[in-house]
Amino acid sequence: MATHSIDAKGLQCPAPIMRLFNWSKTAIPDDQVSITATDIGFISDVKAWCQKTRNELLSLEEANGVITAHIRKVAA
Amino acid sequence: MSTTSAPSVHLQRFEDVRQLIGSPANPTPLVRLNHVVPAGVGPLYLKLEWYNPFGSIKDRTALYLLKGLAERNALEGKQLVEPTSGNTGIALAALAALTGIPITVTIPDGVPEEKKTLLRMLGAEVWETPDDLCPINHPKDGAIALARSFVESEATRDKYVMPNQYENPDNITAHYETTGPEIWLQTEGTVRRFYAGFGTCGTLTGTGRYLKEQDPTIQVIAIEPNKGHRIPGMKNMSESRQPGILDRSILDRVVRIDDATAYAMTKRLFREEGLIVGPSTGAIVAAAVQELQDDTGLSVAISPDSGFKYASFFTDILGDDGLPAG
Repeated sequence: MATHSIDAKGLQCPAPIMRLFNWSKTAIPDDQVSITATDIGFISDVKAWCQKTRNELLSLEEANGVITAHIRKVAA
Repeated sequence: MSTTSAPSVHLQRFEDVRQLIGSPANPTPLVRLNHVVPAGVGPLYLKLEWYNPFGSIKDRTALYLLKGLAERNALEGKQLVEPTSGNTGIALAALAALTGIPITVTIPDGVPEEKKTLLRMLGAEVWETPDDLCPINHPKDGAIALARSFVESEATRDKYVMPNQYENPDNITAHYETTGPEIWLQTEGTVRRFYAGFGTCGTLTGTGRYLKEQDPTIQVIAIEPNKGHRIPGMKNMSESRQPGILDRSILDRVVRIDDATAYAMTKRLFREEGLIVGPSTGAIVAAAVQELQDDTGLSVAISPDSGFKYASFFTDILGDDGLPAG
């Protein structure tokens, strides 16, 4: 299991989701990623993306304008 | 006594590949369809846009988009980014390479490998983007939304400029100044109907506007694929954002075509007319042929690109067709 981090601050949606999508293409089950973003639309997008791709959204927080999501790769 | 006259198109010599892009002085061919059109109707001519040097009608668009950006000093120190199903990207990448401008292309997934490979051969960076990448905010337009994010994001906005074929009036001008006049000249003003597909809508709006200015009774007909279609380069407007450059007042009507009918006509064009066309040509011709009557007059349909870039795509739709039985 590997843990990655993605800095998507300053990027507008869907660029942060594209970064997640690219991560998921090479990640293996149980790999985790921590992604930070500042686009408020990322909150709804990351929930929908995890639901659609069946990856697990472990946590989703917003502090001082920075959204942090932790995700676990589930699907093969 | 010898006489001299202007050389015919076929005797022209070109000093730069850009001079090969269609223009009234060097038009792409109009070819009559003699077998897929029922006897006694028509005639229907196909405008072979794949005779443009980078292989599609988008060569015209790309040339005008870059010319417009250069005239507005919008290219200095910037990289290009453009969402495209392939043809505009190929044309932009070729033209950008000629002038040393880096280019990133965001492309919907499902675009044939041939197009993606050509883009990379031309030096473009290719981001393949699922259409439903961002299901909440940008349904069905993931590649467009991603390209827009490059030019609007705080972190990258100083680096990129987007020609934006969907919203840029230079896309209309390209067809208003070239495709429209070519058709008018090549048909000696006898064209009665013009058929083109819904995509960025630059062809429909620019060509249609020019033709209607010459003769308001010329009919401009848009071809729209069904929802969930698999015809690269075409758009169903109820599942995609309507391009800002579409002027619906120019359209006389919209004709819907399903994939099976489009593919069937594509095959017929290969086998009965000897025309190796892309799937969108099949859709456009199928719609035009359905409408032809004995008093229709001369119609012109656009063939946006050739079939050479779609070999893997055609493999999917052929099934066992053409394989030895048993």
